[in-house]
Amino acid sequence: MQEEAFTFLVGGEAGQGVKKAGTAASVLFSRMGRAVFQMDDYQSLIRGGHNFSVVSTALDRISSHYMKSHLMVALDERSVQEHAEHLREGGLLIYNGDVYEDGSGDFPEGVGLPMTTLAREYPNPGMRVGVAAVAALCAAIHLPLQEMEDLFRSEYGKDFDNNLAYGKTVYEKTKEALPRRFPLKRGTVSSSLWSGNEAIAVGACAAGLNAYFAYPMTPASSILHCLANWDEELGLVVVQPESEVAVANMALGAASVGARTMVGTSGGGFALMTEAFSLAGMAETPFLVVLSSRPGPATGVPTYTEQGDLDFALSAGHGEFPRIVASPGSVEDAFRLAAELLDLVWTFQTPGILLTEKHLSESRMNATFDLESVPWVEPLLHRDGPYARYAASENGVSPLLFPPSDQCIKWNSYEHDERGITIEDPLWTVKMHDKRASKRDALIETLKEKETVQVFGEGEQILFTYGSTTSSVLEACRADGLDATVVQILYLEPFPVWELKQWRNRPVTVVEQSQMGQFVRLLKERGGLNVTSFVNQYDGRPFDPEALSARLKKEMGGRGAV
Amino acid sequence: MSVLDTNAENTWCPGCGNFAILNAVKKSVEKLGQAGVDPRRIVMTAGIGQHAKIFDYLSLSGFYGLHGRSMATAQGISFANPHLKVIDFGGDGDTFGEGLEHIVFAAKRNADITVLVHDNGVYALTTGQTAPTSERGFVGPSTPRGSAEDPLRPIPLMLEAGASFVARGFAGHVEHLADLIVQAIQHEGFALLDVLQPCVTFNNNWKELREKIEIIDATPEKKEDALAMAKREDKIPIGVIWREEKAPFLRSAYGNWNPVADAQSKQERRERLGSVIEKDD
Repeated sequence: MQEEAFTFLVGGEAGQGVKKAGTAASVLFSRMGRAVFQMDDYQSLIRGGHNFSVVSTALDRISSHYMKSHLMVALDERSVQEHAEHLREGGLLIYNGDVYEDGSGDFPEGVGLPMTTLAREYPNPGMRVGVAAVAALCAAIHLPLQEMEDLFRSEYGKDFDNNLAYGKTVYEKTKEALPRRFPLKRGTVSSSLWSGNEAIAVGACAAGLNAYFAYPMTPASSILHCLANWDEELGLVVVQPESEVAVANMALGAASVGARTMVGTSGGGFALMTEAFSLAGMAETPFLVVLSSRPGPATGVPTYTEQGDLDFALSAGHGEFPRIVASPGSVEDAFRLAAELLDLVWTFQTPGILLTEKHLSESRMNATFDLESVPWVEPLLHRDGPYARYAASENGVSPLLFPPSDQCIKWNSYEHDERGITIEDPLWTVKMHDKRASKRDALIETLKEKETVQVFGEGEQILFTYGSTTSSVLEACRADGLDATVVQILYLEPFPVWELKQWRNRPVTVVEQSQMGQFVRLLKERGGLNVTSFVNQYDGRPFDPEALSARLKKEMGGRGAV
Repeated sequence: MSVLDTNAENTWCPGCGNFAILNAVKKSVEKLGQAGVDPRRIVMTAGIGQHAKIFDYLSLSGFYGLHGRSMATAQGISFANPHLKVIDFGGDGDTFGEGLEHIVFAAKRNADITVLVHDNGVYALTTGQTAPTSERGFVGPSTPRGSAEDPLRPIPLMLEAGASFVARGFAGHVEHLADLIVQAIQHEGFALLDVLQPCVTFNNNWKELREKIEIIDATPEKKEDALAMAKREDKIPIGVIWREEKAPFLRSAYGNWNPVADAQSKQERRERLGSVIEKDD
């Protein structure tokens, strides 16, 4: 683990305020000028079960949570059991003593506090115990009471007086009972905390989004919630229709009259959109899909993470047409790529996918959004003269025109002529196929001017990765001082082969969260890379940087092709 | 030759009810023009089927969509630019088979679109299979011993779903139909216009329909009367069966906001977004 790093883990039942406690801890560390990474692990249920939130913080930067914690607060007995192995050496467990009959449990390294009993002084004690976790944290890091009060004012403002009174009691009891404290240095990090989904919303809005359509689906739903909150201020229309099929077809209709649209979903929802995705290819309609993956197939493990949809994103939709697929590794990537993709789908009038995973969608980390650094969608517009929706052009892109207009503007799902009238003859069929294909050539030329691959470090070992796994790999390197070159592929289609030549003759380790190694295959078949080892994980949980670095060390040196 | 014609080759069967619908649409656009509706604001969408070829035969802007899904495309157009009058042409397979969810929800949310159903009770383009509105016993290539399903009745379904304008037309009464199209498009909110249209090749019921069609004198004032009218079996009433005033979806949710026409400039958007994210962090 990084020096000066600290991890706080809070676990409990759904409904006890676990995620809220994690968020409050993140805000606290952030106010101390520290870098933060918050990962919420929750089940597909509303009450009961087991949820936990892990918040890791460092002085300079941090791009993953660490499972081994310095301070663990268990609100229920199950949390004590589930996370026994996650207490770092020298770490401290504070648990809700009320869940044991004699009020103690039997943990030499633990401190029992009667969290529920103390909460009974106030209404809704069962839902209030999460507050105790934050108060205990404040006491454990020796935070002045006044700062805890400020924190509660912003994070527990609803029923503030009761929350603060309860928090103060827990704070005092913790102070008395703690065998040691964890004084945390203050840092100079000033950026704020964002989830990947929030970053996607910000990026799309910065590029000129007008309408968002979505059917609720974890882990993409928070984009919908975020934009629904901003709609009035930003002049957006946000609609939740009857299904993902409706979502996709509505988005295409809206785009055809000039609205910059985006849709968001996970694998199952995107499966329902694939016919419309193909339609966007044929009708040359700008269409941006946020595909936030969770473990599949089918309903899978809905609230967890996986990179199992890469092949799907690259091939979804019947027929041949150009597409754009990109995957962010960090919250800042997510912001930039959302804006870039919205711009690209409008520039090239073809569908695009922002491929991400639950781990990035819902985890929170530091980011600064420079709104002026990203593109603003300005499509090629028809100027004057007779209009043909699919007029031939050098790069295959035809100017756009929107009704009301004196001209007839026809978008067509059938093969069509230049004016969008249905045709079946072989000459037009070939001509229009070629037109669409030429857009892909033009797209490649555009991508060559963009950052399609990011390289971190310059160590001997070459690690290829993409998506949120990039952040895990970078933290794994930081955790253990691992000297590697990390190559992150941002654009997966068109695949940036022009950037990969320099790596072709060197042994490469691939890190991805899939069982079958979809990314490995892409790198071998499309990139021509010599993949000698493959480090994967597919239990739905994101990589832990320390466990990952141990595995990467083992792979050092390579062991033949996989 | 009308200004609404295109040079696409018409491939409907001679005597097809679609010709009558095409003529009625052209007449209605003319009538709407006289009533002050700028034809440039009329936009169409179409599903997939014989009926949908109307997209190629009419010089109106729009989107030729997917089978069953053009009602969603039509709503997307309307939500993005509510100044546009969107008419969606669907077959009974499109509207009540593949895309049933969309028409039910378009009615439920009172989206400001008109759905004109070319209801011929058969899948004609795919050579005559039984369709959602086919009668029990319908014989086609997929049901050689006759369909074992009862037909779906569009009008009662739409009344229950909350449609604010429900009408039935007949391809055999072009002037009457043109008038219904005008009323449907002028209606603010969701309008269903179910047009009974014989298929000369696979379901030729011209004679039976002509015998049973009866033009409605007055639109019922109570929903239960409208339902009773819609369910009549001795006669087939045509005309406006139900009409009510109800704010359309976009106006209910967003007032008079027009996402396309009122879109924020780059500068305004980024200033507003800047303060939104400052507040949120």
